Amino acid sequence: MSTVIAEGVIHVTNDCKACDHCTSICPTGAISGMLGQKHHIDPRLCVNCGQCLINCPFGAISDASSVEMVRQALNDSTKIVVVQEAPAVRVALGEEFGLAPGTNVKNKMYAALRKLGFDRVYDTEFTADLTIMEEGTELIHRVFNALGVEGFESSGPLPQFTSCCPAWIKYAEDKYPHILPHISSAKSPQQMFGPVAKTYGAMKLNVDPEDMIVVSVMPCTAKKYECDRPEMIASGFKDVDYVITTRELAEMIKADGIDFLNLADEDADKFIGLSTGAATIFGATGGVMEAALRTAYEILSEEKLDKVEFEAVRGLAPVREATVEIPVKALGTKLPVHVCVVTGLKYVDSVIEDVLAGRSTYHFIEVMNCPGGCINGGGQPIRRDTY
Amino acid sequence: MSIFKEKEGFTRRQFLKGSAILAVTVVVTGVFAKFGVDIYKASDDYIAERVQGLYTLDESMAIRRSHNNPEIAQIYQEFLSPGGVNPVSEKAHHLLHTRYGKDIPALIEELEHHDEDHAA
Amino acid sequence: MSEIKGKVLKHDQQTRMMHWVHLICFIILGLTGIAFYWDINIISNIFGGPANASLVHRWTGVLFLTGPTIYILLNFERFSRFIDTISTFTKNDIAWLKTMGGYVPFIKVEHAPPQDKYNAGQKILGGLIIIGCLLIILTGFPMWLWRYTLPAAFLSMCYNIHFWTAIIMILLVGGHFFLAAIHPKSRVEFASMMMDGYVDAEITAHHNESWFNELQKVE
Ligand code: HEM
Ligand code: SF4
Ligand code: SF4
Ligand code: SF4
Repeated sequence: MSTVIAEGVIHVTNDCKACDHCTSICPTGAISGMLGQKHHIDPRLCVNCGQCLINCPFGAISDASSVEMVRQALNDSTKIVVVQEAPAVRVALGEEFGLAPGTNVKNKMYAALRKLGFDRVYDTEFTADLTIMEEGTELIHRVFNALGVEGFESSGPLPQFTSCCPAWIKYAEDKYPHILPHISSAKSPQQMFGPVAKTYGAMKLNVDPEDMIVVSVMPCTAKKYECDRPEMIASGFKDVDYVITTRELAEMIKADGIDFLNLADEDADKFIGLSTGAATIFGATGGVMEAALRTAYEILSEEKLDKVEFEAVRGLAPVREATVEIPVKALGTKLPVHVCVVTGLKYVDSVIEDVLAGRSTYHFIEVMNCPGGCINGGGQPIRRDTY
Repeated sequence: MSIFKEKEGFTRRQFLKGSAILAVTVVVTGVFAKFGVDIYKASDDYIAERVQGLYTLDESMAIRRSHNNPEIAQIYQEFLSPGGVNPVSEKAHHLLHTRYGKDIPALIEELEHHDEDHAA
Repeated sequence: MSEIKGKVLKHDQQTRMMHWVHLICFIILGLTGIAFYWDINIISNIFGGPANASLVHRWTGVLFLTGPTIYILLNFERFSRFIDTISTFTKNDIAWLKTMGGYVPFIKVEHAPPQDKYNAGQKILGGLIIIGCLLIILTGFPMWLWRYTLPAAFLSMCYNIHFWTAIIMILLVGGHFFLAAIHPKSRVEFASMMMDGYVDAEITAHHNESWFNELQKVE
């Protein structure tokens, strides 16, 4: 079944120069048009990843924007507007203010968001940690089920795919419906944050969730589509109201004349704002995998890792695989866990075909649409480096 | 009525100039290609730099494992699985898990009636 | 100067063919290219819509490159003499440039300084056309063949160079056409390049005095 949102987030504007570059960027073949012909995106095939947008030589592709709605909410004194920011935003936002790529501006970002008028500044990294708890536990259940351990019969099949990337989810729904039982049922960190904020968060703040507006700052255009999915209403309200991109946040900061580089460092707000290094690396390809391994290893082995870095899943190659031996205390044996990391949706097809054909020996597969992970998402600052 | 023509052949100087212009063309093409290759190589460097930015930030963090996040323990104990840290509890399942593809209409149905079920 | 009777072979057959090929290609390339830039459907429809116009543009581009290349390889001697001529600037050329060869209405010239096979203006035009063709070819082919691999920064740079060079070249060629085909003083040369290659000897002796003095009388 094809997913629900009809018009899509990403559109080719009239500035298209028909250079045909984008058709090679698009992982789904959603862009049609030949050299010399204005190009067009088919929203049914498009997964809203925005890779074409950041790679169009003429800036001729645009994404639907919610900045106006966010401004309205910020100006509405009856609303309590809370904000979450994805890990990848903090190492790229600075580029819009002249800093080098990779410079961490997390604490200035919190400060800038408060200056923009957000009532509470939280962090998507908190729900990234939550994702690891939920998705990691789900993985352990699936592994136990496959090993025949009693009490886990209702768990899904192996391998388990990650579910953080809405572009990947839509791609699987559109093209490989039979793979869906393999995808972790855990929501992405952004979509965990929404219902957590409007239930637990509202409770802690003692406010009516109806008056709460949840805004996300994301490196990603597919997140705009994700928050509009009709099933994202677990809190009883629309879980995440608006998504703005890293670029749009930078624009808002500039429009308000905030002197970003000279802001004093601030911290995120309490209860759903604290995060760990494991959540931080979600923004890089292999990061979800590494964070999951850190937790799964320590929980299953009941030992502390000397070294939390899993170099084997790092790197920028489109498909990487590794095997991690985890001594499982409960079973009394060593379990070799086979993992795979895919970055770039173009490379996922063969991995999926293997799983569907029963050839795959992996336990856990991370899939991120964007080459390099979310740090290179469709909502990030656009770079045209020439040397 | 007479016909005038140029002398055939070329002088040494003409030969050198003709060859030089061809050589310059080749060199300009090469420089242009080199320029293109350099831009090609540099154009994706930012990806590795941003990734490194995250790894460096990770190393600087006091806590580096998700299950050691005190606010995570707190939300499970106070809210998601009162009294303990039990992921995939009923409440966690309701708020933090979803379904895909053809299972979505049923999920929406369930979510829309969730409050009534709990009230009953 | 005494009476000079006869004809001068200024451009031989291959030169004239090459010039024709290049000219027709240039017009087609210019028309289709301008149609892309300003989305002029009337033009692209002549070629069967934008996608086909682009195909025509690119394959005409191949001819635009191979025509002169083959000519140069087959006629290296003539090419070398041409390069020598257009790259040599004498006192006379400078003097010619100062008066703009008498083409500008408000500068009156009694007797223009003796010129080579090409006058100083034509020499400059020749140089610019070579540079322009090189730039447009160097950018056009990557825009076509490596449009998928090249990064956005390089592609947009190619488009900019391609477009602005094209515009400048179209203006230059327009001026060239005006002087060679319309201006009463110089249009006598038109038939030479476009038709049989000959110019009247007396006119040559007047317009291209230095060159004429070096010519051989064959009959
Ligand atoms: C020598 C070979 C040439 C090649 C391989 C070439 C190739 C191309 C290509 C691939 C494009 C991209 C647009 C498309 O195809 O839809 C283009 C655009 C264009 N070309 Fe050429 N071209 C050549 C020569 C020329 C010449 C001689 C002219 C001008 C007289 C010219 C004028 C243009 C213009 C104005 C555009 C539009 C540029 C823009 O949209 O910014 N081209 N050319
Ligand atoms: S990359 Fe941009 S300009 Fe080129 S065809 Fe695609 S949308 Fe048009
Ligand atoms: S947003 Fe992604 S999927 Fe959609 S057209 Fe662009 S590159 Fe293709
Ligand atoms: S990889 Fe990250 S930025 Fe890219 S589409 Fe997926 S979630 Fe969005």
